[in-house]
Amino acid sequence: MATDTAHYAQYRPSPHGGAADTSSQGRETAFAGALRHSRRVRLFKILLPALAILLASAFAIYSYVLSPTGISVDFVGSGISDGKLVMANPTMNGYTKENLPYSMKAKRAIQDLSLTGAIKLEGIDAKVPLSSDTWAVISADGGLYDDAGQTLDIDTPATFTTSDGLTAKFKSAFIDMEAGELKTSDPVEIVQGGSRITSDRFQVLERGDVFLFEDRVRMKIEPREAKSEETADGAGKSGN
Amino acid sequence: QGESRFTGLKLSGDQPIQIESDKLEVRDADGLAIFTGNVNVMQGETLLKSTRMKVFYAKSGDGNEQAAPGDSMQSIERIEVDGKVYVKTQTQVATSDQAAFDMATDTLTMSGKEVVLSDGPNVIVGCKLTVLMSTGEATLDGCGKKEGSGRVKMLLQPSSRSQ
Repeated sequence: MATDTAHYAQYRPSPHGGAADTSSQGRETAFAGALRHSRRVRLFKILLPALAILLASAFAIYSYVLSPTGISVDFVGSGISDGKLVMANPTMNGYTKENLPYSMKAKRAIQDLSLTGAIKLEGIDAKVPLSSDTWAVISADGGLYDDAGQTLDIDTPATFTTSDGLTAKFKSAFIDMEAGELKTSDPVEIVQGGSRITSDRFQVLERGDVFLFEDRVRMKIEPREAKSEETADGAGKSGN
Repeated sequence: QGESRFTGLKLSGDQPIQIESDKLEVRDADGLAIFTGNVNVMQGETLLKSTRMKVFYAKSGDGNEQAAPGDSMQSIERIEVDGKVYVKTQTQVATSDQAAFDMATDTLTMSGKEVVLSDGPNVIVGCKLTVLMSTGEATLDGCGKKEGSGRVKMLLQPSSRSQ
């Protein structure tokens, strides 16, 4: 019963107004309420930063993917059939602006000899460094890589998983390596730990500095992180 | 000044928070996330609605070296909400033009031409509601020229105090 009264907001008219609820019982429930309240508010402070982690960590992915410098291409075998150069298991290795190595493998790469520059990739599997000790793996069923325009048009579902637990799922994604932008007008879902953002359209602009979620943006932050935070408090981790 | 306990910030740790909006723009370089258009923030009984919500957080560093999640735990500095702000809790509703959560001082301030705080039939109107999130203690200031000099209008329905 006591907790109910704590929830009920007692109005204490201003001191010079009517009699304030100064009975000791009144004060106790108020104090108990405040105590519970402050613990909850501390959790509140933890839950809100969870929003920040998700947002902050979501960028690291793109800034590297979008800025390859040199690319070297080698492949196991190749053959020309009906005017198309087919390469088996091509791998492309290169370095990002920050001089971290990245690699892009595909099951097959088919280059239509008539239109140079456009290479159809199947079974894309790329590993991209995010920082010296974290990286992201991109896998997609297929896509069209245009090295003239420096664009990768992934027209099939693709997933992006980072080593620190963030997963982004796309139905399609058009990556403009030159401008460092990514656009998709299909739904996207980004999940990390207990938080999840979905929207119907998504863009990465300004070389990964701006993320734009549009149309039915839904974000959910699960309390699970707060729980582990709560128990960790006991271990003296500052819950401030 | 009217003193009251604003149970608005009863965000319990065991319930998920859901945020909905038409658009979310995250500018990592500026450490800013802007939710615009029908912004709804829900947790259990508590609901916050507005047209725009800006979340300011500590930037994740230029090198983008991803700090361990623990590090950026304390990264939100401030949240600014504006455009027909509506906060509803189990027992109370507060409306204003703007609202700001300041993590450093742990305070929520709701301000505007008219801040209306209602609890069932009871209604208090002022110009600035300041809530200390740690205690839930709320102070509503009137609309006078100088701070706190204005008059707070309070409408108390006699029957409401019974429960």
